[in-house]
Amino acid sequence: MAVDTDTTAVDARGRLRQVPVQELVLPIVIIALIIVGVIIRPGVFLTSDNLLNVLTQASITGIIAIGMTFVIATGGIDLSVGSALAAASIAGGLLMPYGSWMFMIGALAMALLIGAINGAAIVWGKVVPFIATLAMLTIARGLALWMAERTPISLIELDILQWFGSGRVLGIPVPALIFVIVAVVGWVVLNRTTFGRRAVAVGGNRSAARIAGIRPGRVIFAVYVLTGLCVGISAILLSGRLASASPVVGNLVELDAIAAVVIGGTALTGGKATVTGTFFGVITFGLIFNLLNLLNMPTEIQGVVKGLLILVAVALQRRD
Amino acid sequence: MSDASGPLLEVRGLVKDYPGVRALGGVDLTVTSGQVHCLIGQNGAGKSTLIKCVSGLVEPTAGEVRFEGDLLPVGDPNASIARGIATIYQELDLVPHLSVANNVFLGHEHKRGPLLNRAAMHRETKALFARLGDEGISPTAEVSTLRPAQQQVVSMARALSHSAKLLILDEPSAVLDDVEVEALFGVVRRLTAEGVGVIWISHRLGEVGQLGDVVTVLKEGRTVATELPPDTPVDTLIRHMVGGRMEALFPDRGPSRDTTVLEVRGLTRTPDVVDASFTLREGEILGLAGLVGSGRTELLRLIYGLDPVQSGEVEVGGRRLPPGRPDLAIRAGLGLAPEERKSEGLWLDWSMVRNTSIADLSRFRRGPFTDLASERRDAARHLRSLNTQPDAPERAARLFSGGNQQKAVLARWLLRSCRVLLLDEPTRGVDVGARSEIYRVIADLAANGIGIVMVSSELAELLGFCHRVLVMREGHIVDELDGATSTEEDVLQSAVPVHHTTKAG
Repeated sequence: MAVDTDTTAVDARGRLRQVPVQELVLPIVIIALIIVGVIIRPGVFLTSDNLLNVLTQASITGIIAIGMTFVIATGGIDLSVGSALAAASIAGGLLMPYGSWMFMIGALAMALLIGAINGAAIVWGKVVPFIATLAMLTIARGLALWMAERTPISLIELDILQWFGSGRVLGIPVPALIFVIVAVVGWVVLNRTTFGRRAVAVGGNRSAARIAGIRPGRVIFAVYVLTGLCVGISAILLSGRLASASPVVGNLVELDAIAAVVIGGTALTGGKATVTGTFFGVITFGLIFNLLNLLNMPTEIQGVVKGLLILVAVALQRRD
Repeated sequence: MSDASGPLLEVRGLVKDYPGVRALGGVDLTVTSGQVHCLIGQNGAGKSTLIKCVSGLVEPTAGEVRFEGDLLPVGDPNASIARGIATIYQELDLVPHLSVANNVFLGHEHKRGPLLNRAAMHRETKALFARLGDEGISPTAEVSTLRPAQQQVVSMARALSHSAKLLILDEPSAVLDDVEVEALFGVVRRLTAEGVGVIWISHRLGEVGQLGDVVTVLKEGRTVATELPPDTPVDTLIRHMVGGRMEALFPDRGPSRDTTVLEVRGLTRTPDVVDASFTLREGEILGLAGLVGSGRTELLRLIYGLDPVQSGEVEVGGRRLPPGRPDLAIRAGLGLAPEERKSEGLWLDWSMVRNTSIADLSRFRRGPFTDLASERRDAARHLRSLNTQPDAPERAARLFSGGNQQKAVLARWLLRSCRVLLLDEPTRGVDVGARSEIYRVIADLAANGIGIVMVSSELAELLGFCHRVLVMREGHIVDELDGATSTEEDVLQSAVPVHHTTKAG
């Protein structure tokens, strides 16, 4: 992934001043984490197996975070992605008897439907995104538990699905590969298509966008559907890895995804977005998780470290 | 006139350096009590920096500011306020959802024990309005419900509540129409009669002669002329501001063609616009005059499809526009440069290129992708054709002056080869030097056959180069005047509601 023309901001000269603090924070943090890893676990941390493991672990949240980047670019937010992940898994699970491909169709359809309902509620129902997707958070979770009758559905017989979750291509785990592909496609869509430009335009200045002939409602609807698509892909990878569809997966995934987007440098107010930053944000959290695991740190510590990192990274980026 | 021995404010050799830029390079200014001191200069001449140094918001690099003979501590806004220097900035700093009285006493509320003394604040607010000669404002009204002119009066009341001896007004007339400006003049004259000194900053040079006692001109951070008498001819003032010979402010009117390009029939959205009808020919510049609130902006928004229409229709080139669809209006050949350029026209953090290309992105689509190279090339070409300065199309729009930002909006519609341009106060916040350039750009567009509808609160510019001027009053188009032969009195006579007793002109 190239270092980018990614953010909406500023010119060549203006950038030069901003690059040091704003866009180099995460790469520096990532390099620092790798150095720490090499020092404390030499021979274990810096192996291709371990690094691919980091990427694989991060892929489920990572794919969703790419979609979330577009939602936040328009000035919105999607709190329902974690619950939607569970609902999509269960919807696929109910089609399990018809095979792997039907599972995938079911999961994608449910995730897209949830995204479309979010978008419709926000655009035509005029409900603010925070509330609309908060409502969807509880609806989708309830739906998942109800459809599954509170028990996970075994997917042990679906070989193709399991290949998506834990297979390898040329030694690279499939989820890691798909995450990278989604990130690259996301970067292209944001920076090299009219849709990406319009999403940032709507987030940056909605009335100016309207006067320039953009129909903000369509763009906003589309970014929630796009996030639904990302959730559907994640649901397929997650269910394949677990070899089961569970109604309780995806808890707090929305917060991890939003955190990755925000430490990546995308503005919560909309109008400035970077897929590269989101990718680095996801990797940063993945590395921390990995390091603390290698050190056998309790999971409680991980939450504290993650939270502190969010505060520090965002505070550094917001310095003018 | 005050009989105090020395001047009220004395600025000597003021210098302010920012990294890489000298904003002020030695400014002198003397203001006496009871005097209206007009401060003029192009954007970037240093007017704002100067008043920020005086009001303590900015610490000067060198030089001194004396107030009533004493050296003023630098960089201490509270010290400036305490001594009686009140500044009313262009963007009014009122809290919209608080009452008038609460705004007036914001930060120095009257208290009875730990509680606010509302009665006392209301009483004193009333007294302040009486002093300002504007008793129509209720102390309990929410500020957001007031008209801009009234909000200005609230700001002035707040300044008086600090017992201001020097009042600095930064472009107070920018958001007011001519009648309201006249009322503001009255308020200022009352204050100077009480001995308050006033620094009046404005782009409207006509005001200098009407209101000012003396004039100081800044150019590139220096005082180039000071203590000029108020009857200095406008041409002379402009020559000081631009530092050289000034070309004619308004370009010649080109011929308009016979083909009708825009037809508006019975457009209505009560109460803002009622039964508005007119036609516009190719190459014609049509002015829309009227007081603020007479429905001019609303009429443009209706034509463009931004607001829902109750009845009436709009035709561009003989084809009817579906209502409420700006995207289709644009496709039919309309373009709009909105009044609130920063909040509705531009993405300030975006490059000028992106601001220019945004309305015509599909043109740069190659397969599924945007061709950034041709986007940059085409946008830069149009920006250059409008002489946008500096010639740095990748630089963020916020770093450009108002006039050059306006050019980005115009370049956007040139890129789309639009047929009709709707311009809402195109020279608002644009300094004198850049204004004549904007006028020339508009005239060139018209000469190329584009029809122009231009809303302006400045009658001089409407009569200066529009072919025809329509006058709006309370939502109705009430008069049509010939631009070349009509006078400002003609326009005001139609624009001012009959029940007003305000003196027109």
